[in-house]
Amino acid sequence: MTTFYGLPGAEAFWHWTTLVHFLLVALAGGTAFYTAVLGIRRPDAVRGLAWLALAFIVLDLFMLWAESPARFRFSHVWLFLSFEPASAIWWGAWGLATSALMLLLLALGLGPARLWAGLLALSSAVVLAYPGYALAANAARPLWDHLLLAFFPASGLLLALAVLVWLRPAEEAAPWLQVAALASLALAALYPVALASGGADARLAFVLWLRGWGWFLLGSGLLFLAAFLARRAPALAGACALAGAFVLRSWIVEQGQHSLFVHGF
Amino acid sequence: AALRAPWAVPRKWYAGEVRTVFSYCENCFWKCGIAVKVEGGRVRKIDGQKQNPKSRGRLCPRGQAGVAQLYDPDRLKRPLIRIEGSRRGEGKYREASWEEALDYVAERMLKIKERYGPEAVAWFGHGSGDSWFVEYLPAAWGSPNAAKPAVSICTAPRETASQWTFGRPVGGHEPVDWTESRYIVLIGHHIGEDTHNTQLQDFAEALRRGAKLVVVDPRFSTAASKAHRWLPIKPGTDLALLLAWIHVLIKEDLYDRDYVQKYTVGFEELAVHSNKHTPEWAEKITEIPAETIRAVAREMAAAKPRAVLPPGRHTVWYGDDTQRMRAVYILNALLGNYGVPGGFYLAKPPYLEKYPHPPFPLEPAAGGCSGSSGGAEEVPEGFKPRADKGKFFAKTTAIQELIEPMLSGEPYPIRGLVCYGTNLFHSIPNVPRTKKALEKLDLYVAIDVLPQEHVMWADVILPECTYLERYDDLAAIAHKTPFIELRQPAVEPLWDTKPGWWIARELGLRLGLEKYFPWKDIEEYLDTRLQLIGSSLEELKQKGTLIQKGRPYLKDWERRHRNPFKTPSGKIELYSQTFAEHGLDPLPDYTPPMPVPEGFYRLLYGRTPVHSFAKTQNNWVLMELKAENEVWIHREEGRKLGLRHGEYVWLENDAGVREGPVRVRLTERIRHDCVYLVHGFGHKGRGLRLAYGRGASDNALQTRYVLDPISGGAALRNNFVKVVKGAARPRLKRIGQLARERRL
Amino acid sequence: AACVLENEVPPGHNRLWIRQRELGTFPDLTVEYRPEQCLHCEHPPCVPVCPTGASHQTKDGLVLVHAERCIACAACIAACPYDARFMNPAGYADKCTFCEHRVARGEDPACVETCPTGCRVFGDLDDPESPLHAWIAAAERVDVLRPEMGTAPKLLYLNTPSKRGLARQESEVES
Ligand SMILES: Nc1nc2c(c(=O)[nH]1)N[C@H]1C(S)=C(S)[C@@H](COP(=O)(O)OP(=O)(O)OC[C@H]3O[C@@H](n4cnc5c(=O)[nH]c(N)nc54)[C@H](O)[C@@H]3O)O[C@H]1N2
Ligand SMILES: Nc1nc2c(c(=O)[nH]1)N[C@H]1C(S)=C(S)[C@@H](COP(=O)(O)OP(=O)(O)OC[C@H]3O[C@@H](n4cnc5c(=O)[nH]c(N)nc54)[C@H](O)[C@@H]3O)O[C@H]1N2
Ligand code: SF4
Ligand code: SF4
Ligand code: SF4
Ligand code: SF4
Ligand code: SF4
Ligand SMILES: [Mo]
Repeated sequence: MTTFYGLPGAEAFWHWTTLVHFLLVALAGGTAFYTAVLGIRRPDAVRGLAWLALAFIVLDLFMLWAESPARFRFSHVWLFLSFEPASAIWWGAWGLATSALMLLLLALGLGPARLWAGLLALSSAVVLAYPGYALAANAARPLWDHLLLAFFPASGLLLALAVLVWLRPAEEAAPWLQVAALASLALAALYPVALASGGADARLAFVLWLRGWGWFLLGSGLLFLAAFLARRAPALAGACALAGAFVLRSWIVEQGQHSLFVHGF
Repeated sequence: AALRAPWAVPRKWYAGEVRTVFSYCENCFWKCGIAVKVEGGRVRKIDGQKQNPKSRGRLCPRGQAGVAQLYDPDRLKRPLIRIEGSRRGEGKYREASWEEALDYVAERMLKIKERYGPEAVAWFGHGSGDSWFVEYLPAAWGSPNAAKPAVSICTAPRETASQWTFGRPVGGHEPVDWTESRYIVLIGHHIGEDTHNTQLQDFAEALRRGAKLVVVDPRFSTAASKAHRWLPIKPGTDLALLLAWIHVLIKEDLYDRDYVQKYTVGFEELAVHSNKHTPEWAEKITEIPAETIRAVAREMAAAKPRAVLPPGRHTVWYGDDTQRMRAVYILNALLGNYGVPGGFYLAKPPYLEKYPHPPFPLEPAAGGCSGSSGGAEEVPEGFKPRADKGKFFAKTTAIQELIEPMLSGEPYPIRGLVCYGTNLFHSIPNVPRTKKALEKLDLYVAIDVLPQEHVMWADVILPECTYLERYDDLAAIAHKTPFIELRQPAVEPLWDTKPGWWIARELGLRLGLEKYFPWKDIEEYLDTRLQLIGSSLEELKQKGTLIQKGRPYLKDWERRHRNPFKTPSGKIELYSQTFAEHGLDPLPDYTPPMPVPEGFYRLLYGRTPVHSFAKTQNNWVLMELKAENEVWIHREEGRKLGLRHGEYVWLENDAGVREGPVRVRLTERIRHDCVYLVHGFGHKGRGLRLAYGRGASDNALQTRYVLDPISGGAALRNNFVKVVKGAARPRLKRIGQLARERRL
Repeated sequence: AACVLENEVPPGHNRLWIRQRELGTFPDLTVEYRPEQCLHCEHPPCVPVCPTGASHQTKDGLVLVHAERCIACAACIAACPYDARFMNPAGYADKCTFCEHRVARGEDPACVETCPTGCRVFGDLDDPESPLHAWIAAAERVDVLRPEMGTAPKLLYLNTPSKRGLARQESEVES
């Protein structure tokens, strides 16, 4: 039996605002990526999309700024004055900044649009990838498995597509949606397996996962529905994908913060 | 989060200009020397005074956290008078000026004196400011009924036994020569949870130097986790174990023959007496294997005279306590360790003179840890002896026995009470009786720093400033190296609070006792006392502590041809002729404790390292370390009762008193037949916003006590509780949340 | 408590705490008391994840936070395997600093100075003269927390009572 005088810093350090950020950053990155891929072929057709992606970025940055207890210090400039390639968030910051610039140029139709789209493809991929990297880098948090390096980009793209099927001609985004939903579903199914076969904390990670399996079932079910309905009822599929991916990602971010240290060792 | 300037990261206090003020700590009664760090007009940090023999530069958590008491927004802020027509305990008050409040008190006290005599006002006090309220004022006023809880609810048995065995007190600072000892046996005495700083330091040093440790405790205490042997004794049977050890030392001829011959009387009687106390006899009583008993006795003997059984401090357990303590001392004497390195050293009080005021009509009656006290002797014409006189053998005061006359009027009525820093509802058993007694009084005055529940029963509440804001009388510590310490203010009193000396003097003037207060203020008083011993207030302010030379060992006394043993025989009395003459057992013998009724557990209690009694539960720094107590129950008992670890339950004693809710702590660290609570929680006073409603009060469940007929101690471990399921978790805010507003 | 006052640690957070672990069954028991805080890892996972360089390792091997550079992203809090960090409401990641301000003045950290049992020693691991080395040499066993994390902590535990060292006791983890 373990008791404490005082407690370790085992409280959740990310709050609901962070969950919203994980959603917004996915919408931003996914939309930007979609814009880039379409834009490489038809740069003129994506100006509206570019504005939308830009709006997501601005919204996300505003969210981050508003929730930060450091918001009234100019400390954020250090993000760009430092060179920290080991840090996922550093990459994310540069990814968002570059994407924003490219999107702006695309939206305004300035300069060599194809080149911008190509660069945007790279920078938006960084935006899609960095949240998973930021989680998976934490070896001490068993729920944040390396599998998230794939799951977060896939589900991120899915989230963006789920919104896009509503806003854009559905037939254009729906096939993408189906693929992204299936990919996310496959990764979600692999997740418990990955946990159980992971490192030293595998058993514990799996036990933690078992506590939330209901949420997992729900999220995966929604993803399945999304894939199933993608071509038949794209709008409904979009709703399912949005909810499913959000549930899964939020659960992982939220539950993954629980530390093992406070219990054992 | 508050808006901050863009560049701002809050500046740390230590970047500012820091002033150091020497004083001593008041978070328990150990009185460690402190160095208070003041910056920007606020106390920021309290460190240990390096030159002080108590702290040696170190402090326990409670000492460290004193700052949070000073800035506690729940403190009493200005004098309060109970609203006319409201009942005591209703908590209806109006603010008053000091003038009005003191006039009010004086007028009513004089009325009581006129009608019943001065002895009808009782004075309870505890803490270093108590000298004014249980010694100076009552003696000047003429009441022998002054008492401290630290006597009859704490040390009375060990002091009485020590007086009648060694002819010397134990005193506030236990003179155990820890660091020189090689074999230590703790009876109860949960050092580590009982965090008297110096003792903790010395104890740890002894272990570091390789001392062996035996812990006798029904619970696996922190000390037990450092021990090479833990004896999970059946509660209340320690005396049988001690007698068996005496038996083995004598029968196996393991005792220190020369020492016993030279310094003791009554060995022959003891040897005969101990024939029957075989380890096999003790095994049946204590549930400790005879073999273990023998082994420990032999190990002890092998280490003698550097083997010691320290006296412990809180020794009011079962009612046979003076006799148990006698057995402890007899064992020590047989090991030849009293006045010898590695055993007990001989503590000496420092040289200090009284302030030359006219003699008081009565001797101060309360007595301290050292037990001796006036009031029961022949009293001068026109005065009465103490109200508890004749109830028990020793001359100590028994605070709980002074409550009785408030109800019965026997042997004479007590109609008024001045209560300084004494927790009537957490420190004195049988709270329902205390409440009834308070209801009957003509006047009840509380002098305190916090709106404790009992304070909010008073007719007049006089808010004292805290120890960081005031002078008190000098602290004179009997020690290996006797010393004097100064209490001085680090900052000005907050709000409309006043120091105890000022309250006492102003009250004294109003009571017509001017002649006893020839000094105008405390600085003059202290300076006069210090000048008399060739020092000065200025010097002590600079130094913090004045250290004198001691005379710690027997050889130091013998060199001067002095006898330290102030017993009737002038020797250590293994057999007490005086006890025999008073119809008491001259040699300790075993009597069984009250049996545990079917379906109940014996309620044991003790300390947590991060709180003091029931007075630090509104300190946010300490509350963050421990916010509530738990009831310790053995895991298997818990399983039988269907309890979950961490669930909330009620505790109900055999008189039907219910207390809680309190969390269950299922543990292997306690015997099956008892449960354990840390003392001090379970506050019911709403004014203590952090403390309110957290945990359970042991004192509320201690409606019964057994009076130790020798020392007057109130033995508290004769209460039995059962666990009642189904309590809800109390809905309270988290401490961190509540504390945010009181951030330093 | 010393740490809270010395470093103005805000309510609700701790830089230092004590873990109490009960091992064994009645009457064959031991209890381990273990103070825990930032271990100032040789390979601190909390440093590389910091996007601004606020979280850094000094030449002397201390792991510290430049509060004015911190953007409060909490990445370092997530990365620490020992839960040693928290978010100071003033807007920066906070944790034990080994009281660098005191050490710079040649004093011991506040928690070391006050510890009544003297069970904490502080010193320079690189300095063979430091009393630290005598302690380590005299110890029967020396442990670090969660060695499998590869963090190489510089807070060492001497003679821990649990016979298995500080490896996790499986039975203790709630599931
Ligand atoms: N942190 C902190 N330290 C304190 C205080 C405080 O409030 N807080 N108060 C101080 C004061 S004034 C005092 S008097 C002391 C009190 O501290 P001690 O003198 O150490 O008190 P005890 O009652 O001897 O110790 C309580 C222990 O006795 C055990 N016990 C219970 N029943 C029995 C029994 O029948 N036999 C035996 N052998 N053991 C038994 C309990 O399990 C518990 O571990 O603490 C002092 N130190
Ligand atoms: N049930 C039970 N009863 C016990 C004990 C137990 O373990 N269990 N322990 C016993 C022992 S060993 C002892 S020594 C006694 C201790 O008995 P007390 O000294 O009565 O115990 P505390 O709870 O510390 O109460 C101190 C009171 O002083 C107030 N106070 C604090 N600082 C100051 C100050 O600077 N000035 C003034 N005027 N007031 C102040 C507090 O608010 C509180 O009301 O209790 C004894 N009673
Ligand atoms: S033991 Fe702790 S609380 Fe008591 S006087 Fe010393 S520092 Fe203060
Ligand atoms: S203990 Fe945690 S915060 Fe400290 S250096 Fe190691 S990883 Fe960083
Ligand atoms: S919270 Fe501050 S110190 Fe920690 S990683 Fe973020 S910027 Fe760095
Ligand atoms: S070294 Fe300083 S900051 Fe670190 S735990 Fe100790 S007191 Fe706190
Ligand atoms: S003994 Fe020392 S290390 Fe342990 S809790 Fe006390 S102060 Fe901290
Ligand atoms: Mo006491």
